[in-house]
This record gives sequence, C-alpha cells and structure tokens, in this order.
Amino acid sequence: MMPTAHRRLVFFLLVILSTASIIMAAAAGSVSLGWEQWTNALLHPDSEFGELVWRLRIPRAAAAWTVGALLSLSGCLMQVLLRNPLADPYILGVSGGASFATLLGMTIGVTTSLLPALAWAGSLISILIVFSLARGEGPWSRTRLLLTGVVTASGWAALISLLLTLGSDSSLRGMLFWLIGDLSYARLPSWALATLVFIFLICLGLARSLNVLAMGETTARLLGEPTRKLLWLVYLLASILTATAVSIAGNIGFVGLIVPHLMRLIVGSDHRVLLPAAALFGGFFLVISDTLARTVLAPRQLPVGVVTALIGVPLFLLLLNRARVKQ
Amino acid sequence: MIELACKHLDVRIGGIDVAADLSLELTPGEFWGLLGPNGIGKTTLLKCLAGLSPPASGQVFLESRDINELPRKLVARHIGMLQQHTVYVFDSSVMQTVLTGRHPHLAYWEREGPNDLQKAHDALKAVELNGFAGRSVTGLSGGEARRLAFAALLVQDPEIMLLDEPTNHLDLRHQVQIMGMIRDRIGRGGLTAIAALHDINLAARYCSHILMLLGNGDWIAGRREAMLNETNLEKLYGCPVEMIQGRNGTHFHPAAG
Repeated sequence: MMPTAHRRLVFFLLVILSTASIIMAAAAGSVSLGWEQWTNALLHPDSEFGELVWRLRIPRAAAAWTVGALLSLSGCLMQVLLRNPLADPYILGVSGGASFATLLGMTIGVTTSLLPALAWAGSLISILIVFSLARGEGPWSRTRLLLTGVVTASGWAALISLLLTLGSDSSLRGMLFWLIGDLSYARLPSWALATLVFIFLICLGLARSLNVLAMGETTARLLGEPTRKLLWLVYLLASILTATAVSIAGNIGFVGLIVPHLMRLIVGSDHRVLLPAAALFGGFFLVISDTLARTVLAPRQLPVGVVTALIGVPLFLLLLNRARVKQ
Repeated sequence: MIELACKHLDVRIGGIDVAADLSLELTPGEFWGLLGPNGIGKTTLLKCLAGLSPPASGQVFLESRDINELPRKLVARHIGMLQQHTVYVFDSSVMQTVLTGRHPHLAYWEREGPNDLQKAHDALKAVELNGFAGRSVTGLSGGEARRLAFAALLVQDPEIMLLDEPTNHLDLRHQVQIMGMIRDRIGRGGLTAIAALHDINLAARYCSHILMLLGNGDWIAGRREAMLNETNLEKLYGCPVEMIQGRNGTHFHPAAG
C-alpha cells in the first residue's frame, strides 16, 4: 500500500498533467497562436481565435480526455473480469458491434450526426449477444465468457471486412479513420461525461470488491462476494464504458491496455487508487496523443489511434523493463 | 457460539462419491482432522462445507440456517477457509493482501480503520511476517505465501475455520507453530476448525476429532483416541501402519516400504 502522502502527491501530479494537457491542446494547432493572441482568445470567445479555441480545440480536447478516461477505466475492469493482464476494452466484441453498425451506416450514407447512436446500438447488440450466450446455467465461467466474446469479436471483424470490400473508394478513408480511432469530428456529448462520472462512482464503491475479485473467484466468495452477480455487473459496466468511448471516437487502441498497466506499476493494484489514477492518466494520455495527431504533420491530421500506438508501445516496453529491473 | 453442521449430506464430484449421508456437528471447542488418501475429495468436502459448491443432496447448516441460502457476506463473517493453493495474477503488497481478510466486515464505501490495521499487523507478527508488509506477494517463497494466507484468515477472524492442508510448504517449526495457533484459538472458546491433513502425527497431536474419508462415499468419524489406530489407518491408506508410543504421545509410521 502506498503511504497517504505519496498517494496525494501522485494524484496532485495527475490532476496537473490533465489540466496542462487540455491547456496545451487549446494552444497548439495548425494555426499557431502567440501568448497574447491566446489569452485574448480565451477571454473573448466571440473573437476569431476565440471561436477556434472555444468551439473547436477545447471541445475536442474535452472529448479526448473523456474517451481516454472511459477506455482506461474499462481496461481496468476487463483485466479484473477476465483475470488477465492482457485483456483490453475491445476483447469481448463490444467495439466490433459498434464498428459494424457505424460502417454499415457509412456505407448506406447515414448522416454523420447519427453515427454515434448507431455505434451505441451496435455495441448494445454485441453486449446482449455475448451476455445471453455466455451466461448459461451453473457457475460463472470465465473461459466461456472469453471464448464467446472473442468469437463474437471475430464475427464482427469478418462482417467489417465484408463492408470494407464492398464500400466505395470515397467512403473507405472515413471508415479506415474510424476503425483506427479518430477524434477529428469528436465533440463531447454531456451524456458521455455523465456516463463516465456515474460508472466511475459505482466502480469506486466496488473498488475493494474488485481487489478481492482480482485474487480469484473462490477467494472472493470466501471473503463474502456474491461473485456471479458481481462479475456480470463488472462486465456490463466495462461494456457500457467501452461502448460510450467507441461511439465518440471509434476504435482507439492501446489506451485501455497500456494505461491500467502503467498505473499499476506506479500506484499499485489497490483499485481505490488505481481506478482514479488510470482515469486521470488515460485522459491526459489521449489529449496529448490527439494534440500530436493534429500538429505533427499539420495541416494534415492523423488518426489518433496511430499516435496512441506509436507512443504507447515504446513507453510501455520501457516502463515494463524498468519495473523488472527494480524487482 | 456459532455452530456448523451438516445433515444427510451427499457430496459428489465428477461421478465419484466423496461422502454419502454425512451428518456431523462441528461444536465450538473441537478441532477436526480430515484424513484421506489423495484425490478422495477432502477439498471438495471442505468447499461444500464452506458453501462454495452445493451438495448433491442434504444440507449444510450455519446456526441451523441453510448455508446456501445465506448471503455470502454473512457467511464470510463466520466461516473462513484457507485454500490449498493461492495464485496471484496481479501483483499486490503483503499488507494489502492480509487486509483483504477485513473485507467481509466492511461496508461498500468503508475504508480500513486503525483497528483493522492493528489486526493486520498482529496477524503478520503472529506468522513471523512482520517486516514484510511492503513486500510484493509475487516475490514470496512457498512457505511465506502459505503463512500470508493464514494471516489473512486470522484477520478475517471467523468462528469456523476450514483449512485445506494448512501445513503445506511449511518447515517443521512453522508447521508446529500454525497448528498450535489454531489449537490455542479454539481453546480460548467459541471457535471450531476442520483441517485436511496428510500428516497423521500432526492430527494425533493437535486434533480432538477425526473424520476419515474411505472412498465410495464411506466415512467414519469420532474422537481422536477412538479413531487413530492401526486398523483404521491401514484401511484408510491401504498401507501397513505401525503405532509407536513415544514420550509425547502416540506416533504413526508406515510399517513397510
């Protein structure tokens, strides 16, 4: 367990990082602003640069932060649920359903504003398919859930490939960006933020139960957890988090896998500390990644999923290596 | 005084009868030894008594209420089980792991208080793991992990302790220490324990009662003095046993081989 003072310092730093990343995102972009222009823009939302900062950059950064936090929380939950440190938010096919529905919408030419709703519907269908097939009678079986989820995900992947081969060349680019994960058109709907806050609070209440659950179902039951109910609840919460994130920004990879790991290395595995730390760092990480995605090759914009992978993979390997040396 | 009892219990696993028509009362003050050859179903029976797996028929009662109908949290405040193996997938500190024993005693949003921390420190000290609080559980030796699991059980502080081979991986001194600790806690009153054991001599020295699983659902149970003799043990293990009277009581050894 971390000493309280140490824990406070970590949280203080994480809050600073998140805030700083959003400020940086508001300042950086293909139109570079001087310090004076920038403060002016912040103070006068109606000016030309004010519109740019308040209407485009800050909403996009807020969306990025929320998606990062959603995916990181979902990753933490999935790893406990499957008791496997390799689990990520997409492993059980939630994003597959969302992707298929969205790409289908793009193929038949649904207006862009309806795509998040379609993604949500696709996720929900996938969640319900996996839930009803894996539930069965008798005790909870992690293997059954994992296999059902993974096979469902493969099914969606096949359907997505089919749509990609049938799609017109003009729509392919949009589809590809969505599949890699892209925040170009992302805005932060208030319901997504509400979902994040609401589920985060539930998870914080369950945090000690999650600690016990991470030690295995039998141990958890012996310590008083009704594991069957608890595990399905964790499955549903993680799936809703994933569905919300995917409906905003597509399949952004690596955040939900790497952030929980990084935070476990830094703050330890007590979920009462891990969950808020992962949410804060996940938000920070995605805001930075997205800022890079739109500035590195400006005015060209990269899908943020490319950047998360390019930063995430070496960072993760480095930290993992350092942690092993320390041990 | 909390009592665990079973009536007309049939326990089966994978088509094998572990115990048929088993009726027992584990009265506070008793320390039961559960003996039987490998694979006879000792763990299965303990799990059934803990309410982890429902019996084929019959019932397990905690204070005359069916254990499978009670909320798990309530059960966990009265029954604790030391499992045969502990596998840690996620790393965690020794202190955090031992504190999980307080889980059933705390509400959802509640944090461990000074009282809980004190209990954890006392338990770590009792198993000689003081100074290990900040260590990682994945770096512990087999015996240390075993003592940590026992410390978590002490912190859970149940009236009924189900112990699946508590002395596994332990050296001689720690075997005696842990068995002695269990006997002393029972002696202080209000507690019961049942331990699956392979060491007949530990059972002979510490247990007050013995339950033997003979296979095909057959079982015999009773006070230690009446149960531990050459005839019963030879029948149990299918191996000749020699009984030797020593200065500190009766000892059992394989007679051939």
